[in-house]
Amino acid sequence: MTDPITSQDLRDRLNLIESMMSEGRQKTESWGWSFVLWGIAYFIAIAWGTFGHSNYAWPVTMIVAAVITGFGAFKTREHHPETTLGRAIGAIWIAMGWSLFILCISVAASGHAEQHVFLAMIEGALGTANVTSGLILRWRVQMGVGIAWWAAAVASCFVTIDQSGYIFLAAIFLCQIVFGVYMMISEAAERRARAANSGASHA
Amino acid sequence: MPELPELNPVIHGKLRLALLSLLAGVEEAEFTWLRAKTGASDGNLGAHLLKLEEAGYVLMEKRFVLRKPQTLYRITQPGRLALTEYVQALKRLLGAAIDA
Repeated sequence: MTDPITSQDLRDRLNLIESMMSEGRQKTESWGWSFVLWGIAYFIAIAWGTFGHSNYAWPVTMIVAAVITGFGAFKTREHHPETTLGRAIGAIWIAMGWSLFILCISVAASGHAEQHVFLAMIEGALGTANVTSGLILRWRVQMGVGIAWWAAAVASCFVTIDQSGYIFLAAIFLCQIVFGVYMMISEAAERRARAANSGASHA
Repeated sequence: MPELPELNPVIHGKLRLALLSLLAGVEEAEFTWLRAKTGASDGNLGAHLLKLEEAGYVLMEKRFVLRKPQTLYRITQPGRLALTEYVQALKRLLGAAIDA
């Protein structure tokens, strides 16, 4: 049998339930760094491939970036609860990464690589992943990033090979590095705000 | 006058209520995360989680990740139902207190 409770106690309990549920649902993961990392990885691969004339430039850089991302993801998620939302977003990016990896390896191995199509394929896939994440998170900035990737994919089909390369470089800078830095700043601000609002013990 | 609902004694304690509410917002959570969010001691937290587990409201799973042991908890369907009913009962009690 429970003790007699006051209306204030009832309100406190409702507030406790609400605040605890929102604690659980809070976005606890930070992913801005991975956008910057992949932006830099693309630049390294392009520079290495162009100036070093190496066939290993793309596979090596992409595999190294994937390993660093995997390790970073493990550290980011360590001691944080898994949410359905986090798993859904993660699934999109993992599937996108694998599909690009398999296709790029196949295109390179088959010798059918054509720069317009190759870049449009990468840009289109990145557009899809960003727009899907943006729709799930209801985040217009990321939807805008996805649309920018799609615009780059469309433009790559209609311009010269050199121009498609420049479009790809511009898209990487804007959609990976600038967006990644913006995400990191937003995440840091969110963490500061959360730290300022928390501190209550419910035990 | 309608009869006032009884509050479920298993989750009436504030710590157990906080734990069930935290787990309702996530798929699964580590013991360390629950401890950080509630500010409870290991012993106290473990005892209350055991009560919730015995009531069938949470499931516990132990696993090793990179050789480090992890104790994970997730809310069950009966646990989610119990929390929903508890919230409904609280609201009815609050409504009755305001009307009185």
